[in-house]
Amino acid sequence: MIPDPLNRQARTVNRRLIQSLFRPYLPTVIAGFIALLGVDGLQLFIPRVIKAAVDDLGHGLAGPASLLHQGAIIAAMGIGVFVCRYGWRRLLLGTSRRIERDIRARLYDAILGLDAPFFHKNSPGEIIALASNDLNAVQMALGMGLVALVDAVVMTLACITFMLAMDPYLTLMAVLPLPFLALATAFLSRRIHYHFNSVQKRFADLSEFGRRSFAAIRLVKATNIAARQVRDFDAVGRGYVDENISLAVVQGLLFPLSVLVAALCLLMVLFFGGRLVISGGISVGSFVAFISYLFMLTWPMMAFGWVVNLFQRGMASLARIMAVIATRPLIVAPAVAVAVVPESEVRIEVRDLRVDAGAGRLLDGVSFTAGRGLLGIVGPTGAGKSVLAAVMARVLPVDDGHYFINDVDVNRLDPGDCRALFALVPQQSLLFADTIHNNIAFARPDAGRDEIEAAAKTAAIHAEIMAMPGGYETIIGERGVSLSGGQKQRLALARALVAGRPVLIIDDGLAAVDTATEQRIVKNLRQTFRSRTCIVISHRLAVLGEADTIIVLEHGRISASGGHEELLAVNSYYARVAAWQNGAEEGRNAP
Amino acid sequence: MRHNFGYFEDDRGAGITEARLWRRIMVYVRPQWRSIVIAIILTQVVVAASLTLPWLVREALDRFITATGITTAVRFAGLERLALVFLVLALIAFIANFFQVVILERSGQEIMHRLRHDIFAHLLGLDLAFYDKNPVGRLVTRLSNDIQNMHEMFTSVIVSLFNDILRMTVILVLLFIMNPLLAAIMLALLPVLVVIIALFSRLARRVFRDIRTAIAGLNAFIQESVNGMNVIRIFAAEGRNRKRFSRLNADFCRRNLRQIGIFAFFMPLIELCATVAVALIIWYGGGRVMRGMMTIGTLAAFLHYIRLFFQPVRELSQKYSIVQSAMASAERLFAILDTVPGITPAGSCTITAPAGAVEFSKVTFAYGDNPPVLQDFSLTIKAGETVAVVGATGSGKTTLINLIERFYQPRTGEIRIDGVNVGDIDPGLLSRYLGLVLQEVILLPATVRENITLGREVDDALLARVVEQAQLLPLLATMPQGLETRVGLGGRVLSVGEEQLLALARALAGDPRIFLLDEATASIDSATEILIERAIANTIADRTAIVVAHRLSTVRHADRILVMDQGKIIESGSHDELMAKGGRYAALIAGDRFCVSAP
Repeated sequence: MIPDPLNRQARTVNRRLIQSLFRPYLPTVIAGFIALLGVDGLQLFIPRVIKAAVDDLGHGLAGPASLLHQGAIIAAMGIGVFVCRYGWRRLLLGTSRRIERDIRARLYDAILGLDAPFFHKNSPGEIIALASNDLNAVQMALGMGLVALVDAVVMTLACITFMLAMDPYLTLMAVLPLPFLALATAFLSRRIHYHFNSVQKRFADLSEFGRRSFAAIRLVKATNIAARQVRDFDAVGRGYVDENISLAVVQGLLFPLSVLVAALCLLMVLFFGGRLVISGGISVGSFVAFISYLFMLTWPMMAFGWVVNLFQRGMASLARIMAVIATRPLIVAPAVAVAVVPESEVRIEVRDLRVDAGAGRLLDGVSFTAGRGLLGIVGPTGAGKSVLAAVMARVLPVDDGHYFINDVDVNRLDPGDCRALFALVPQQSLLFADTIHNNIAFARPDAGRDEIEAAAKTAAIHAEIMAMPGGYETIIGERGVSLSGGQKQRLALARALVAGRPVLIIDDGLAAVDTATEQRIVKNLRQTFRSRTCIVISHRLAVLGEADTIIVLEHGRISASGGHEELLAVNSYYARVAAWQNGAEEGRNAP
Repeated sequence: MRHNFGYFEDDRGAGITEARLWRRIMVYVRPQWRSIVIAIILTQVVVAASLTLPWLVREALDRFITATGITTAVRFAGLERLALVFLVLALIAFIANFFQVVILERSGQEIMHRLRHDIFAHLLGLDLAFYDKNPVGRLVTRLSNDIQNMHEMFTSVIVSLFNDILRMTVILVLLFIMNPLLAAIMLALLPVLVVIIALFSRLARRVFRDIRTAIAGLNAFIQESVNGMNVIRIFAAEGRNRKRFSRLNADFCRRNLRQIGIFAFFMPLIELCATVAVALIIWYGGGRVMRGMMTIGTLAAFLHYIRLFFQPVRELSQKYSIVQSAMASAERLFAILDTVPGITPAGSCTITAPAGAVEFSKVTFAYGDNPPVLQDFSLTIKAGETVAVVGATGSGKTTLINLIERFYQPRTGEIRIDGVNVGDIDPGLLSRYLGLVLQEVILLPATVRENITLGREVDDALLARVVEQAQLLPLLATMPQGLETRVGLGGRVLSVGEEQLLALARALAGDPRIFLLDEATASIDSATEILIERAIANTIADRTAIVVAHRLSTVRHADRILVMDQGKIIESGSHDELMAKGGRYAALIAGDRFCVSAP
């Protein structure tokens, strides 16, 4: 879905977008460009003052007063250049950073609005790359790229105009090598881009290799494979080195090549211009002027290749970002939303639900109802349990007529109101790099400390939190305390409990908790299970001891449902798992 | 391709002095000295050629183009000759420049490759206590960013810095020869420049560090939001997240604007210094020309050279920052190389006929400065015995495995295998006596066969047996290339359960005497769990086995079950014995039975 080539449509969208992004900063940008032109103008003028001073000295026209005057003018213009340079850097580069901020905000807004299918298609890595690498490319193009482009165009146009006015033939000769530079630059910058990407990829491989070895240090030590790891690491490192050298070969060509072409232009003027002077075609003055203009052209010539490359990348990146911003969520509020009627009991009805969530995760005609009490769902991996949980919690879209809450089709309800009925403990307990207090209070920011502690006690994590150095104010995550899988799951459970929502869904959320703790949690939840609509998905039948009904989900279908005894009698999967988990002999020998 | 945005950058400590740091860096540079000298020579060639080109133009102008005294034919011929020299010089400059870039890059890469090798090898040799203190993200940063910083110094600074300093010195000497007084005045500008550059690089370094920290935080926040989108959605936290994001985003932007402000002030300031120098030359030098104390040619030369002098100054400050940051990185890297393992070096004992008896004798152990996990702990496990260890998280179960594997060293007491202290056993042999299966499986990006053998010599008969015992045959049947199928990064994706089976096969392939099993708690469906359990049963038959059980379904058949609580064994016996006793174990089992607990 993230487009690669820059087609015409994307270009139009980009142009319109750039216009809208620049609009708030238009006066700033105009002022910035005026400052930039000021630098160019003053810089063209300073050499003339120097020339005048030297000429005066040569002709004996200079006096102490005139020298002081000329020195003062140069210094004053130097200060003028300083002010103008300061100005355009702040105004133009500053604007590019502000626009970067605005785009990032719009991108984040867009991401917040999108739903699950988008995140299945685009990995977190890809989205992060949009917000970092791609946005960086856009900022570079809009900042330094734009400045260099304007500067190069102005300088080139000025120089070429002056040269044309002096002698069209010599101008033609002087610019003859330029198309060659343009072609070579276009070719080489593509190669550079290619090699640059593979260097980046090798670098990522190298880091990933290191990461995996360090993360698995116990295995490395236990199997004594350190020597082999080092050998493999060296091989990956060698690949990185080689790729860097390939890049250096192309890069080593590009820059000297533009210097060479600039020298060739000079050579053309030296040879043909020199002949013209000798044969009386042009004056010596024009010849010298030609050469000084060519010197001035050297920098823009070197910059052009770089700028074009910068712009191409920036615009391609902007198109990718734009595609995400333009994506619309699949779950949208209906034009006229039916208000969710607060009732003491939330009844859920799933009717012939069919979902294809991609990657073979699907539901194929699932129907059931759930009200106050505990509904258990069991089934093998890949049976569609998590998809079902996501649909129920209103994060996966559903067609009309398949999912009802208190007898109202969910598509007629506002999705936000609908989600507000549910508390979810997801399979991967996703916590945030924040304090423990804030992680639990994430579900309800106004929850008091007593409520949070109560939830933590129910989730059997309170004692462990208190044992941490900062208690509830301990920061967790990359920069703070790292938690075990079981601790994370229990925090996620506490978070769901503190929300106080009428429906609780636990999607295999206790798998990493040890048996003894799990038992305590199930006991603590007994009251919750009785007073709310609870749906618990688990591999562990012991967790479902309180369930009024248990559904067995296999291959996206309900293969059986009912109470424990009933299922033991009618469902072979259930019986097998139950027997095995109870440690009965027949379970051990079952297939 | 996953990125780690946990950005780690600490300030320089006062550990190693600058001189010692350079000496250690030079150890790595020395093998490449020939290439570096060639690169420096090539750079001189480039500079010389590019300085000669304008001189050639002047020659052509003076000797042929404006020389009206000689015939037109001679003027044409002379011009042609000079044009040819010009062309040759331009080509020489091009070629020299190209080779200089490539040679320098290659030697820089070779230096970094060696350093990276040393760091990685040294890190793998450090003990687990070191890894507990240093998060993986930080170590990866050392290996990637810190080495990258040093590489940047090598390629973009060292040689050009050498050239810049050389060029500036030569220019200053030339100025002094031409006119000492005016040169002295120019020299007076130097301290001003040094102060400006020092101040600039300090500010720039600080602001860049702020920016890097901010972008790391910002990206981490986006990543968190993307991963946790369902949670955010369910708990209606969009608004709060947007607010937090907007704060981080604005903060990042503000720091960038500050950087722009600093650069916007200092970069033109250096230019201003150059312009002021020009103005001074015009005013003061012009006066001396008027009084006949200096020629116009000298004045023109002064103006020309002062421009050449200021060219490198502009970049000097940036280069100074690069050197600073590279030195900070170097210090962090050498600090790693200086870290000695906290475990006494292993001995070289062998056990002639390993039977597999394990003994803990009065062991006291703590992780770092934490309170002890084990205190005066003793335990004897007979050869061939299967022992299951149960207990709550943090009761010390996994610690037993850590100590047998010698990941850590006990404070007091000994762990013995067949009567020999594990610290005295040759590490290569120890790893062969022990077969460890961890909760988390690491797959190498290689074939199934390589993942099982791990480079050890495993004959085909053993491999076939291992694959069968580990219940891998059904999985291999689905793979067209069988054992040669690539798995891991870039290969076929395996489920958690399949990875567990592979890990068992891996341990079996070493044909160990003692099996150490840290049972997985990940959510594996029961069908796979049954398969794994059967593989485990095959694995531990006729071997000593220590199973840390998080699930109770696997422990019943153990010869002995240990119930641990706070580093102590509170119950010990067979399943039937412990059930009859009606203690903690019996309570755990009762609770785990389905539909029995509801009172």
